[in-house]
Amino acid sequence: MTFLTPLIIAGFYGLIIYFSIKGINDKTDKVAVVNQNKTLTEKLTSNKNVTYVYVNDSFESLKKTLKKSDYDYILYLPDFDIDKPAGIELIGTKQAGLSLDGRISDSIEDLIRDYKLKKSGISQTDLDNLKSNVKIDTKKIGDTGKEENSSAGASTIIAFVAGVLMFMFIMLYGVQVMRGVIEEKTSRIIEIMISSVKPFQLMMGKIIGIAMVGLTQFLLWIVLTFSISALAVTVFINKDDAQKIVSSSAQVSAANPSAQQVQAAAMTNGPLGNIQESLQNLDLAKIILVFIFYFLSGYLFYSALYAAIGSAVDSETETQQFMMPVMMPLLLGYALSLSVVTNDPYGSVAFWLSMIPFTSPIAMVVRLPYGVPAWELALSMFILVIGFIGTVWFAARIYRVGILMYGKKASVKEMAKWFWYKN
Amino acid sequence: MYSRTIVTKMLLYLLFKKHFTFCNLWILFATNRLKTLTMLSVKNIVKQYATHRALDDVSLEVEQGKIFGLLGPNGAGKTSLIRIITQITAPDSGEVIFNGQKLNSNHINQIGYLPEERGLYKKMEIGEQVLYLSKLKGLSTSEATKRIKFWFEKLDMATWWNKKVEDLSKGMQQKVQFVATVLHNPELIILDEPFSGFDPVNADLIKNEILELNAKGTTFIFSTHRMESVEELCDNIALIDKSKKILDGAVDDIKASYRNNTYVIEYAGDTDFTNNALFDVLETSDVKDGKCLKFKLKEGYTANDVLSEMLPKVRINRLAEVIPSMNDIFIERVKK
Repeated sequence: MTFLTPLIIAGFYGLIIYFSIKGINDKTDKVAVVNQNKTLTEKLTSNKNVTYVYVNDSFESLKKTLKKSDYDYILYLPDFDIDKPAGIELIGTKQAGLSLDGRISDSIEDLIRDYKLKKSGISQTDLDNLKSNVKIDTKKIGDTGKEENSSAGASTIIAFVAGVLMFMFIMLYGVQVMRGVIEEKTSRIIEIMISSVKPFQLMMGKIIGIAMVGLTQFLLWIVLTFSISALAVTVFINKDDAQKIVSSSAQVSAANPSAQQVQAAAMTNGPLGNIQESLQNLDLAKIILVFIFYFLSGYLFYSALYAAIGSAVDSETETQQFMMPVMMPLLLGYALSLSVVTNDPYGSVAFWLSMIPFTSPIAMVVRLPYGVPAWELALSMFILVIGFIGTVWFAARIYRVGILMYGKKASVKEMAKWFWYKN
Repeated sequence: MYSRTIVTKMLLYLLFKKHFTFCNLWILFATNRLKTLTMLSVKNIVKQYATHRALDDVSLEVEQGKIFGLLGPNGAGKTSLIRIITQITAPDSGEVIFNGQKLNSNHINQIGYLPEERGLYKKMEIGEQVLYLSKLKGLSTSEATKRIKFWFEKLDMATWWNKKVEDLSKGMQQKVQFVATVLHNPELIILDEPFSGFDPVNADLIKNEILELNAKGTTFIFSTHRMESVEELCDNIALIDKSKKILDGAVDDIKASYRNNTYVIEYAGDTDFTNNALFDVLETSDVKDGKCLKFKLKEGYTANDVLSEMLPKVRINRLAEVIPSMNDIFIERVKK
């Protein structure tokens, strides 16, 4: 599994890139247009996704021969009132997707708007000049005061990946700690063990041991994912696309480009080139180090609670009632981080989520790619460390009693009682 | 060859015991090694769980080199006491003295504990597991490996090293646990129901190992419900019931004190002894060559008086005193 997971991740990564570059562009829908509208004499312009072919056949006869013809869809434009377009039909051998639907209606709307504009006296040249392709070039002033190319897209991708990984790791290894404790309890090795070591030592040993496993696995994943992804990118992106990216960026760097050229390059490069550039500007090393810190601390914070749960029950089926209260803050942190925090990484929700130790491991790594003030990071780390010392202490008091209790269905009340037991 | 050594050792052990009884104090002190020392003394232990008092002012002493039986019905507090001795829990009040010192964490490695509820890590290999457990008790890897090989050889487990625990039967697992308990040569070994799960052959094997270790000077605390093994193995016992110690002492002394002048006699003849001045008849039954009477002597008479009364009238086949078994004593004391 350790070696398979990076392969799977890289595979996903490759597939996503493959489809985002090739998949959508590849397929061009061919649409036969039956135009009976007297006012709309301008033709719909084909683009890379849709090709419009104007035909003179009747709508009814086309419908009958559609299956045999090489058209994917028939677009029927009846003689509607230009102010109240109605009765437009799109018929195909398969259900048109949302994106196709959107594209076609956009084209028709453009057509109607152009017609109206022209009627009010605007010339075709003015009309062409009105159209613009807007691409926002986002930049931010970095810590050094220099302008850095950033992209909300790149930050969001990193934030998502970090948030999902953090959630996954804490859950995965936390539950592993709990399973380990239950296994020791049900196999009754626990009594043999604690006649040699103190319950606290046993609990911490398990937690630290699994943390080491997790860390090794994580580092292995990083190394393997990066190397396999690099391989996957070269395999999945076809040569032309890669060539285009490489040549255009070479052009930019070679010619000491003027602002216009940069813009042009950015246009041909598309969003992908921009993201790549932004990725280089994000301090990946810092993100990974902070991630590891939050992973270890967040894991310690939660796994101690999981160990306490494991010690209180006799089998995994009994864990449900206790899992809920532990899962909820983690899940809440996860959901809010990936929605609210990515939308507004500097807002008060983001701030508080990244301070409260129950949610800070996820919230903070999600905020990190957008840039977090150093004092906030330090304060959050400090609170989290205090937090995990607290949960470990709390869990140890329940654990030492719980592991020796058999056959008693533990309730929260019972566990509170254990907490106050003297030794 | 192997069984002969055991027999020799057991004989030596029996001789040794007898010798011990007849020795006077001077010899005891002169030879020194025969001196009785208190290894473990438990003083006024109280352990309270939320609403339940598990141990109520329990005191007892375990002598060095003896096998001490800790008896009592389920839930009496035996396991609580053992957990205090093994330092799994601490008493609310009272103290435990081990070899003259107050019990502390240095003593953990001198105690071996085989709990009643015992298990092993299922996915681990046997050899690796025992090695791990003995290293926790402070043995070095090389020393532990040497000893594990010795014990595995001794208990016919030599081929088990690379087997997984889940592939072993329950009895085989018990053997592994026994080895893990004794491997670090503890001075005190606490066994909680050691024979449960063993077939008679292996139970006997383990019993012999216990006796052999005991002959070498290891002290045992032995907690069990099986009274026959108590009579067979234990020198001293303590009986705990409802969190209190209700009886303790040497097994022989306890049994002697529970003698109540009850005898059985088997005879051939027709005479009726139901009403006589010497004894009260408790039971009569027919046996192969006549009758069997179970009777209790009246105050001031001995078995000899009964014999001289009956000899002229009937042919006596057997006369025996009824000595209560530990089982009877246990039941009698606990029922009270």
